[in-house]
Amino acid sequence: MFGHYNVPLSIAQEGISLSVQKDGKNLIYKRDCLGEQFEKHILAGKGKILLNPVEPVNRPKALTSYLLIEFEKALLSKPKETRTIFLRFPLEIGVYISTDTDFEILDIFTLTKQKFTLYGDPRNGVICKYWKSPVYSTIPSLSTLQEGLIDLAVTNTNSHWIELTKAVFNAYGMKLYYNNKTVSMKANINIKTKDTAETEFIDTPLQKGMKKSLEIYASRKISIVKPKFIMEFGL
Amino acid sequence: MILNKVLYRSVTVFDLILVAIILVLAMIIGKVVSLYLRRFLKEKLERGHLEILVKIVSYAIAVIALLMILPILGVKLSGLLVAGGIAGLAIGFASQSVIGNLISGLFLMVERPIQIGNTVDIDGTVGIVEDIHIISTTLRTFDGPLVRLPNQKVFTANITSYAANVARRFEYVVGIRYSDDADKAIEIIKNLIKQHPLTLKNPAPMVFVDSLGDSSVNIIVRIWAPATEWFAVKTELLWKIKKALEQEGIEIPFPQRVVWFGDEKRAPQFKGPESTKDSSGDTP
Repeated sequence: MFGHYNVPLSIAQEGISLSVQKDGKNLIYKRDCLGEQFEKHILAGKGKILLNPVEPVNRPKALTSYLLIEFEKALLSKPKETRTIFLRFPLEIGVYISTDTDFEILDIFTLTKQKFTLYGDPRNGVICKYWKSPVYSTIPSLSTLQEGLIDLAVTNTNSHWIELTKAVFNAYGMKLYYNNKTVSMKANINIKTKDTAETEFIDTPLQKGMKKSLEIYASRKISIVKPKFIMEFGL
Repeated sequence: MILNKVLYRSVTVFDLILVAIILVLAMIIGKVVSLYLRRFLKEKLERGHLEILVKIVSYAIAVIALLMILPILGVKLSGLLVAGGIAGLAIGFASQSVIGNLISGLFLMVERPIQIGNTVDIDGTVGIVEDIHIISTTLRTFDGPLVRLPNQKVFTANITSYAANVARRFEYVVGIRYSDDADKAIEIIKNLIKQHPLTLKNPAPMVFVDSLGDSSVNIIVRIWAPATEWFAVKTELLWKIKKALEQEGIEIPFPQRVVWFGDEKRAPQFKGPESTKDSSGDTP
């Protein structure tokens, strides 16, 4: 489903149907995703459509730029050791319209259930998009349109065994890659102490030949926001 | 020549024109810089921070302009150090409330108990902070009007900020009949909360039987939501809870009272409308 399309177009797949059709001299975009319908008039006669995964923090409302993934089972990390695990994350699909030089987001939709949570306390904490994921040691098979995969390198820089139950990521640093089978991100979590860790993304595809997504948060060009996230309210 | 005409001391007409030009230039520069700061930093800074930055830059330009103007008008800046104390004393007595508001305004900007865009309650005035000026603070109440509050009042008032925390809890009391299954009602309510995307997973919602009331079993529902969304969630969920409970045959009862008659022989008279008719209006 992901990729570039010329208009007019019509796609129907896994409960999603979307189309861009001529409406007089202009275009009309229509989308139906699990019964939720959306329409937008496009004041242009032609254009290209790009469909790709975007940072999963926009639906149902862009309240936060943080994604918290809770592990179904806690991890115990060995001192001074780095191990790689795989986590699932919810997918949001971005529809862009483009001219030759410029892309503009037209719509974002998702097939997954949405939930928010609070990381930390109500005074100092942050609202995060919430997702619960099993922890995998090898790459699992997923539904491409519902969930993506985070390749997470867990490094325990501490000299004690440390338990990890969740990871919080900042959408400003997310680097999404996709192919026909998988949507992926690569990230690190560096455990500093029993209660603190730092997460950051790496701009590398999980597999060779994957295409890079056009991200919403990266395209806003906000340079003063740090892409790393410091988890200081517990692991 | 008229430009060289001395008006007082060594101040000439040319000096006055120069002062006017500096004032106009300072105003233009202030406006342009404010406009560009707002335009370029609009997406990079919070609105409250941006407004404070714009004010600081505007005041700095005004102070620089003043420092340029004073020597032209023959005022020696070194003399101001001595005169400043005396003038300050005089101004202080003459305009206590203005100075009080001004100093309170500075403290409000430094301590920042409220920020632009916050929903606050300042001594009973509830609204959204529109702007924090150097002398006063303006609130926009929820029915529309702007309320101007002197900064001294704001600084000394009890302030409740509804946006200080990122999350907020709200509560319902849901009464069900004594004949209904409270466990089932709790399960229905918990499921509804779980399915709503804007109710927070953590802190976890609480749903429990709180009291056995006169007419109903009272279930308390406590839900956390993002501070920006809590009111919309609160108004939406209550009706959904009511409908979901009714769909499962659980009803929210009207207040009711069971009346027992002391005179057993007369009791049958009050069993129904028919018997009431027969009782010739002889009610207890």
